[in-house]
Amino acid sequence: MGPQKNHSLKMVPGLAASSLVHDRILTLCLIIALAAVIGPLLVLLGLKHGTIETLRERLVEDPVYREVRPAQIYEFSPEWFDRMRSFPGVKFIVPSVLPLSSILHVEHPETGSLEMFDLISSGPGDPLLLENSAPAPQEGQCVLTHEAARVLGLEQGDVLEARVTRSRQGRREMAASRLEVAGVLQPRAGSLPRIYAPLSFVLDIEAYKEGYGVPPRGWEGDTPEPYLSYDGVMLLMPGPLDPIERTGLIINTGFARINEAEGIEVTEKTAVPLPEGWTAYRLSTPGSPATMSGIRALRQKLRGKEHILLPYVRDIVLQDATGRNIAPAGLSLSRREALLLDVEYPPWGGFTGSAASAGRLTRLLVPDSFDFDSGVVFHGVLDLHMELEAAGSTALQRPLVPAELMGVLRTARQRGVKLEPESGEFAMVRGGFRGFRLYTESIDDVPRVYRELQEQGLEIMAQVETIQRIQVLDEGFARLYALLALLGITGGTAVLLSSLYAAVERLRKDLGVLRLVGLGRRHVFFFPMVQGLMIAAAGLTLGFACYYVLSAMINHTFASELAPGEKFCSLPLSYTGGIILLTTCLALAGSLVAAWRATRIDPAEVIRDN
Amino acid sequence: MVYLENLYKRREQAGSVFELCVPELEIPPGSMVALVGDSGCGKSTLLDMLALVMQPTRVERFLLDLGQGKENAMDLQALWKNRLESRLAQIRRNHMGYILQTGGLLSFLSVMDNVCLPARIKGNQDYLQQVTTLAARLGIEQCLARKPDYLSIGQRQRAAILRAMAHGPDLVLADEPTAAVDKARARLIMQDLRGVTRDSGTAVVVVTHDTDLVADADVTYSFVLSQGSEGLVRAECRRSV
Repeated sequence: MGPQKNHSLKMVPGLAASSLVHDRILTLCLIIALAAVIGPLLVLLGLKHGTIETLRERLVEDPVYREVRPAQIYEFSPEWFDRMRSFPGVKFIVPSVLPLSSILHVEHPETGSLEMFDLISSGPGDPLLLENSAPAPQEGQCVLTHEAARVLGLEQGDVLEARVTRSRQGRREMAASRLEVAGVLQPRAGSLPRIYAPLSFVLDIEAYKEGYGVPPRGWEGDTPEPYLSYDGVMLLMPGPLDPIERTGLIINTGFARINEAEGIEVTEKTAVPLPEGWTAYRLSTPGSPATMSGIRALRQKLRGKEHILLPYVRDIVLQDATGRNIAPAGLSLSRREALLLDVEYPPWGGFTGSAASAGRLTRLLVPDSFDFDSGVVFHGVLDLHMELEAAGSTALQRPLVPAELMGVLRTARQRGVKLEPESGEFAMVRGGFRGFRLYTESIDDVPRVYRELQEQGLEIMAQVETIQRIQVLDEGFARLYALLALLGITGGTAVLLSSLYAAVERLRKDLGVLRLVGLGRRHVFFFPMVQGLMIAAAGLTLGFACYYVLSAMINHTFASELAPGEKFCSLPLSYTGGIILLTTCLALAGSLVAAWRATRIDPAEVIRDN
Repeated sequence: MVYLENLYKRREQAGSVFELCVPELEIPPGSMVALVGDSGCGKSTLLDMLALVMQPTRVERFLLDLGQGKENAMDLQALWKNRLESRLAQIRRNHMGYILQTGGLLSFLSVMDNVCLPARIKGNQDYLQQVTTLAARLGIEQCLARKPDYLSIGQRQRAAILRAMAHGPDLVLADEPTAAVDKARARLIMQDLRGVTRDSGTAVVVVTHDTDLVADADVTYSFVLSQGSEGLVRAECRRSV
């Protein structure tokens, strides 16, 4: 039974095809009718896709329209950039530096005249570059705007020498770096003479301009030394101050408060005991740190009086390799001060107020019972790993470090501080960036990103209004095309359905005979299905043939308006596949009705002519 | 080969009712059975039931005996009742041939394809020898490549006979096979039909209104019509002596 069934089923496509060939005129009519619907629909879709995409790509998707920039100078932390990078709709964001910190000079290779350019930071994935036929510059490379390339007469592959100048301690200094031109932007990317380079290069230029050295590039300059900051200062004096003197200490010193402190508080904050008969004052400013300028001003006011100033920081915790917390006190004393306070003279000596040198600062005195291993880490903005040298022991209850180190650590709690690997000195890591250049995935994302930044309290520049105008136009087009496509699809379905149904009606008798000679209901069911698919396939082929001829004509006609590679009428593969799938499904659905009708045919009713 | 007893079929059409009763009918293997009657007597209805394309309203026994004896014969009514439509199609395909009034050839296939269709559906492999022999016998061997539309009615009917015989059925059902030709040709066609079926030992049931045509039938059944109440026609099919 099994093989026989297959046998009958296998005959159905052949029979259905024979029937179509026999009625070739009618079949041709059906195919033409179908192609007459599919062909124009394809052309319509091709035009929609071609024109709209061409316009979109030319205009709407021009990165210039997707750019979002701050209108003022703010400070943005690296974490802020990380957050924005993952904000929905953001495709690319790169920090920028102050405009004045990014001016370069390049010598014209022929005339020798020095030309001035804006240096703009870029990075991998920069749409402004990638979508204007240039790669993102690598280290040692740059990308020129059309105007910059014109001014310099350079092309892709040429090498230019970028020069940067600064004046430091009254001297003019200059550094230079050779950059390969990795690409030249299309004119639409902007009309200003600009040079795009990797962010790292731009930051080095900025650092150089600010007077710092850039050792990897061989540019000399200062090291960005961290400033010292404290929670407050303990002032120890052999006797009390009179009220006028006392008030004088909080006038023009940066301190806002002065309180008398008990001995116990002095010990708690500075580890030293208050000598008998001495008076202690705590000076601080709520909400802001005590800085070196404040401490210097205080010294000035106290000149001529016996006093000891002990800057303090609370809650500094170091962690050693075993994870144990060490809470040191900061204490820097001159020999005289140590004598007055009756504590041992620390090997690092008196308070200098400077973060240099790190070798002097990274030392530690430990109480006798304290057992210590040199490696510690401080969890500030960045993890600061240090090797502390055990410089001896102390009779005081707590481990002691130089007060300068405490000042560095307090600063490290708010700003990035690192130990420079080359010099071994403490250095500030740059805090934030003064601007950015952001591009969204598509213009549709601009308003959202714009709103988000506005809500962060930033004043932002973006082409929001232009975008809205284009979007309205785009939506209108899309709706119009959808309507026309819907009409076309409806027409195609109607043609398929009605013609297949009619074909079954016409073949009633033949289907009855087929039943009589041994085909089951199931077998005749496939007859219209196969025919439907065959007609659909032929209709699609003819429709696509018409489309290709027409689209070639259209593209040829408008060739003069189009850039190479652009097409007025083009269908992406997904559309083509979609249309074939849709037509096949509709043909199957349409023939399903006809097939159902075929199975209802009662041979006894149709085989006789009367 | 086919045996039925007390078959009753009721058909309703546009308000009028037609009832057919067949007390007993038997088609012995290899025999020629004629169903004779005027139009509207129910002979085609009976033939459709024999062809398994119409279900009897009720029937006491409706058996198909393919040589296994009456006790083991296939119960066709049971197949109808159980809606084993594909089994009925299978029986049609394997054991029956059908000749329609106007041939019933498929216009979109050549005569050769038409003729071979049942054999192919059945899954036969070696039907070509049989077909060419029979075609020569029926005098239509030169028509085989043509489409049915290009054949005369006589040739078409002979092609239909050939198609009904090509897959070696046990039973051929012919529905007024000569209604469309003149009497002289009808006689010749009928002779051919009788000839080929007799040679192969195939039973044949011929429906006709012309008694003379089937004078040499082994068994003849005729129909008696009676008018029942208003709109009711009753027909009874009995064996003529």
